[in-house]
Amino acid sequence: MKDNEKRFTLPMLEAPRTMRIRFQKTGNLQYISHLDLQRTFSRILVRAGLPLWYTKGFNPHIKMVFGMPLPVGSESECEMLDVRIEREMSAEEMMERLNAEVTDELRVLAVYPAERKFAEVAFAEYDYTIRTERADEALAEKISDTLQAPLTVLRRTKSGEKETDIQPMIRSAAVTLDGDAIRIHAVLSAGEGNYLNPELLITALRAKTGILSSDLTKESYRILRRRVLLADGVTEFH
Amino acid sequence: MNTKISSVLKSVEKPGRYCGGEYGAIIKNKDEVKARFAFAFPDTYEIGMSNLGMRILCGALNEQPDIWCERVFCPWVDMQQKMRELDIPLWAHESGDPVSEFDILGFTLGYEMCYTTVLAMLKMAKLPLRADERAEDDPIVIGGGACAYNPEPMADFFDCFSIGEGEDNLVEFTKLYIRMKEEGRYTRQGFLHEAAATIRGIYVPSLYDVSYNEDGTISAIARRFEDIPERVEKCIIADMDKAYYPDKLVMPYIEAVHDRIMLEVYRGCIRGCRFCQAGMIYRPVREKTPDLLNKQARCLYDNSGYEEISLMSLSISDYTELEPLTRSLLEWTDRNMVSLSLPSLRVDSFNKELMERIASVRTSSLTFAPEAGTQRLRDVINKNVCEEDLMHAARVAFEGGKTNVKLYFMNGLPTETSEDIEGIATLASRVVHEYYQTPNRPKGRSPQVTVSVSCFIPKPFTPFQWEAQDTMEMLAEKQEFLREKITDRKVRYQHHNAKVSRVEAVLARGNRKLCKALEIAANEGFCFDAWDEFFDYDKWLSVFARADVDPAFFANRQFGLDEILPWDIIDCGVTKEFFKREREKAYAAATTPNCREQCSGCGANRLGGERTPCPKACRGQHEG
Repeated sequence: MKDNEKRFTLPMLEAPRTMRIRFQKTGNLQYISHLDLQRTFSRILVRAGLPLWYTKGFNPHIKMVFGMPLPVGSESECEMLDVRIEREMSAEEMMERLNAEVTDELRVLAVYPAERKFAEVAFAEYDYTIRTERADEALAEKISDTLQAPLTVLRRTKSGEKETDIQPMIRSAAVTLDGDAIRIHAVLSAGEGNYLNPELLITALRAKTGILSSDLTKESYRILRRRVLLADGVTEFH
Repeated sequence: MNTKISSVLKSVEKPGRYCGGEYGAIIKNKDEVKARFAFAFPDTYEIGMSNLGMRILCGALNEQPDIWCERVFCPWVDMQQKMRELDIPLWAHESGDPVSEFDILGFTLGYEMCYTTVLAMLKMAKLPLRADERAEDDPIVIGGGACAYNPEPMADFFDCFSIGEGEDNLVEFTKLYIRMKEEGRYTRQGFLHEAAATIRGIYVPSLYDVSYNEDGTISAIARRFEDIPERVEKCIIADMDKAYYPDKLVMPYIEAVHDRIMLEVYRGCIRGCRFCQAGMIYRPVREKTPDLLNKQARCLYDNSGYEEISLMSLSISDYTELEPLTRSLLEWTDRNMVSLSLPSLRVDSFNKELMERIASVRTSSLTFAPEAGTQRLRDVINKNVCEEDLMHAARVAFEGGKTNVKLYFMNGLPTETSEDIEGIATLASRVVHEYYQTPNRPKGRSPQVTVSVSCFIPKPFTPFQWEAQDTMEMLAEKQEFLREKITDRKVRYQHHNAKVSRVEAVLARGNRKLCKALEIAANEGFCFDAWDEFFDYDKWLSVFARADVDPAFFANRQFGLDEILPWDIIDCGVTKEFFKREREKAYAAATTPNCREQCSGCGANRLGGERTPCPKACRGQHEG
């Protein structure tokens, strides 16, 4: 039997402590929505036997705060989740316990006391891999040019659909040809109220260049979020 | 995973249904196992992952190092469209390999309306629908579950059926398959014959001939070989404490319909309601001990992280050890913020103490099933609860802070009169009245009583198996009559679709002549008939007409007491004589005591069983 009861024997903290969990969400996990991820994590946290703090009240529950959203169909190496613990347990032990309860596609990369606020996040760095039979220097150049010019897309907002130019939200985008794939290394706005859904870049390119609109088995793309950055666009957010 | 499948995941609804990779999923090396079993659930992933039977059986098969059992679900219609476009055959969830490459393909048949989905899945797997058209190398297609107790409407499509409880049976079946392959004497026919001859509960329809009278009733069911049983006796797990029970769960990422720990407390039911098939076919009652249940619950909690435990059984308050069980569970569940829930409550045993222990206190609603509106009709169906019980239960609920009560009833029960239907409206109003009579009711809120009425369906292996279902016109009239009688504004009324219930009755009591209709339905693309948005009654009528099947013959006809019934080939343990006695008592509005009070001689005790309340159980006869 597991030692999930151990948490009751640990020394109480004076006040609940917020711990940040950095994890990856890759492979099959890219298809899991934010809501499903929350539910999944609440169970992982319980299985791991962490000394979680529960809200007081009629229906006690744990507090989980996730960093910025990740659209379904995008992968990430820098997802973050804040949880509160009420007893002393080392970050190393927490990480070890968590990693015993997840598949590799959801592996925990770091656990540490949260210091910065999620509101400090301003940018995120992405790697796009676009596989298409049409990949050549000319297409790479066309994509690169497209990303430099005004780039209007239909965005769904609370007040219906709206044409928006997303170009100002692209801080940088480097396009390279790599065999049968086009790679884009992009830094996109990710601040609160100014968040660019990385999927929109694909939507825009599909409309402007015609890529990724034929047989799904012949063309595919992958989006991987690498890092989240502070307002200077360089320093990594932890 | 198959790259074709992953290539379409970005373009379908809820890709989490298909992506797999769940924590706890069983991955084995396909080159190191001797048999691959595809366990198919004929509905969506979310529904299949809520099914306790599937979890148990997949787990039991995977306990065997030689066997790899994978799950198969029915892709939703948008995915089916992509599969046609890109020529993707039905695949197994864990490996992504085509189902047609497996050794054995099992379907769980929980509900008649899933039959068309089963056939649609066979087509998606690119397997011949009919068993007699399958090639030597095609998977053996086996069916099981509650509907397999009358397997005849599906007889042409299945190589065989597993009748009864599958934990040991499916393992034994697969092991015979492995053994015959290893010994080099496997042939499809040879294997099916040997399984039918040597393994209890295995029914191979092609080894039995059915002949008919001119009026369409059955004249004889004859076995083709002397070494197979005349009637196929269901298999049971004698000692539930020794039955396989999963200690780890596959954790779905997307929300399943029932997303919690399901703890099966006991099997069977002591009650014997005369319309209820489950209460008959799962006899004899066999309990698990509270110590074991507590250990299993703790283990499942540690391994799943679910914070709700549902105590599963047909009538939880009948469990003799409920008090010690909930006491030992509460010793650790409270501290761990785990709540208990009870899905099945009987009004006569619902009390304050029980309510305080269960989690459903957190919701504002409780559900009870009086089933009929008057005491006379409740006696006819042997429900054995009275109005006083219901009022008491409602009062307890209201005192505990509930405002909503849901009441289940049935229309079209044998001997039903307008008085019985009116009784439903009266009973609901009395529950409303009870609310205002409860001094400690929730302050400042008004009650809501929901009356949900389904249509009676005569089911095989019940005392009402011979009864005629009301015609659609009668059912519609009764539903309208009840609507007029419900005048209380605090009572909400909903009723089931009588059209679905009629098709369900046809399939439930059908014989092999139904196979033709189902084949036509499959070829026309029927699927997901259990979903309202896909059920089309007119299309069903057209299919029946073309297959020369008169739906009234199966649904609305009173079957003769001496008639050979399509399901007479199956022996569910309970005897026909008992059903006949119960039917007579029903017409005399006489009740039968429950199994614990007195043995009524249903016959199921000859199957054995440990920790069964039956005073006449013959233990130890059927072991090994």
